[in-house]
Amino acid sequence: MLQTLVTGLSIGGIYALMAVGYSLVFSVLNFSNFAHGAVIMLGAYAGLGVVRLFPPHLALAVTGAAVAGALVAALNERLAYAALRRRRAPALYLMISAMGCAVFLENLVYAVLGSRFYAFPEMIARSVVTLGGTSVSLLDAGALGFALLAILALHLFLTRTVTGLAIRAGVSDMTMCALMGVNLDRLILVVFLLAGAFAGVAGAFLGVKYMVYPTMGWITNKAYIAAVIGGLGSLPGALLGGLLLGVTETVVSTYISSVLRDVFSFAILIALLLYLPHGLLGREAEEKI
Amino acid sequence: MKKDLLGWALAGMLLAVSAGAAGAEEPIRIGHSVSLTGGSSMWGLAEQNALDMLVEEINAAGGVLGRTLELIHYDNRGDAVESVNVARRLVGDGVVAVIGPAQSGNSIASAPVFENAGIPMVVTTATNPAVTVDPSSGQVRPMAFRPCFIDPFQGTIAAQFAFEDLKARRAAILYDVGSDYSQWLAKYFEEAFKVAGGTIVAQEAFRSEELDYRAQLGRIKEQAPDVIFIPTMQKEAALAAKQARDLGITAGLLGGDGWGSPDLMDLGGSAIDGGYFVNITDLADPDIQKFLQAYREKFGADPVLPNPVMAQDALLLLVDAMKRAGSTDGKALAAAMENTKDLPVTSGRLTMDPENHDPFNKPAVIQRVDVGQKAFVFVKKFEPGRN
Repeated sequence: MLQTLVTGLSIGGIYALMAVGYSLVFSVLNFSNFAHGAVIMLGAYAGLGVVRLFPPHLALAVTGAAVAGALVAALNERLAYAALRRRRAPALYLMISAMGCAVFLENLVYAVLGSRFYAFPEMIARSVVTLGGTSVSLLDAGALGFALLAILALHLFLTRTVTGLAIRAGVSDMTMCALMGVNLDRLILVVFLLAGAFAGVAGAFLGVKYMVYPTMGWITNKAYIAAVIGGLGSLPGALLGGLLLGVTETVVSTYISSVLRDVFSFAILIALLLYLPHGLLGREAEEKI
Repeated sequence: MKKDLLGWALAGMLLAVSAGAAGAEEPIRIGHSVSLTGGSSMWGLAEQNALDMLVEEINAAGGVLGRTLELIHYDNRGDAVESVNVARRLVGDGVVAVIGPAQSGNSIASAPVFENAGIPMVVTTATNPAVTVDPSSGQVRPMAFRPCFIDPFQGTIAAQFAFEDLKARRAAILYDVGSDYSQWLAKYFEEAFKVAGGTIVAQEAFRSEELDYRAQLGRIKEQAPDVIFIPTMQKEAALAAKQARDLGITAGLLGGDGWGSPDLMDLGGSAIDGGYFVNITDLADPDIQKFLQAYREKFGADPVLPNPVMAQDALLLLVDAMKRAGSTDGKALAAAMENTKDLPVTSGRLTMDPENHDPFNKPAVIQRVDVGQKAFVFVKKFEPGRN
């Protein structure tokens, strides 16, 4: 049972890291940025590139992936969403544009780098710590720890800095925020830089743990569910939803059937939305998509 | 000015070529449905090289039935829909027979097209029984043949090796429920391992797109197996190996020919080191040394096995049938191929079973993954009949 919990938490940690990016963008712009998965994928490729060019080191790979993710997300916002936003297009259009970006970026990678799989070199030894009959891999423990720290840092940034204050103001009323002299474009750029950096970090961890390939971004479907379960737009919700989904999946695979795992995950999502339309920690808001 | 010159030169060459073709007897056209791009292209390109090499040799020695051979390679991108398109194109081109595809799914998709056209198809490395025997009717497909072993045989070899050489008594299976190849190979292994006297202590499955098998591996770990059979492609095998070692599982790892891709070692790293798998042939196989030497001389590198060897076997099977039938008619070729006996081919000798169009006595090799050497190391060769 303990092993199941540990495995579930380590999977959940990565879901949480990915879910934060969804929630962050949703909280400010009120739309689901489905290009997030593609940014995660590009982050993983960037991390891989860094490891191949420089001495292989996990910290270097994660940093490189975070920087690349932030840049791609910011560029994505400027090129694809900014014009729609200024014309006050409905959130639905932004979401469709985001889906387009996801497919575009994925196929770009297919065309440029091909469909082959890549693995990171073994940067930290495959060391396993055994605690009371439960095996914990150091990478998993590190990933979960890092996810918690990063989410805490983001929380502090949003609550303790002026830019964070502006973002939170934007979350509650964007028009009013603009009237108070906040530069909306700059604010949104910061939000995308942050979400992109998180995507990059998640991509690097995913790549190190599993593999790097063009369609890896689709695993974010799970992260999106995690964000919805936790309450889209809520950061603690994203964390909670991610961990909950990871543990549920592992418990179902272990004790019921691995083939039925997704049947359960999605059933939980549907049931939860019936009773708690805003997720576990979501706030009331209009126009949620 | 330069452009003009080039244009005239090209036109001149075209004229010369068409004049030459009209003068000589028409060549025998053989189609080749092959993955030249996409994930399987490294095998496909090696197939193409090996076939071109062999055709050159045959033509230099006077061709077949007094005519030269001409290969038409079309890229099926390793995709089932594209394979059907390629099959239709080849039928339209008027080929007398086809070599390929290499994958079971693509071969099963292509089979009806060639059957309707009455053109024999000799696949290269497609190991699923349904390639040559229609599973819905249980009847042999009259136009489908193969020179390689089939999955039941492969599963049996893996089970025998686990029981006798690895001395395993408790085996677990982790397979991909989304793949026919994996599901059936798991079943064949299970049956053979039980017959040998072993116990299957756990059978766990995952779906193709999944990345995390730790829940399944956790259950396998509880049963403390001696060996885990993972009949999947190299990507899933590498992931499973990494996660098994992360969970502290020390059992031996065993797989089928789906593992036989050079990137297995990059993807699996130290976790896959020391794993064993069944393959069609190996660089150390004494029977293929002459072919390897010729290939290295011509292309300056080792071929990506086993496809080029099986492609040559397929072509030799066809050429022998043409000679014995004295014609290139599809039905006559199929009838002659059915009765192939003890034909010397690149991988050894080939005798066709007319019941199912699979070869008798096809050998298999066991390879060990050596990550340090970055190589698959030859362990032993299973030869039914000779063992």
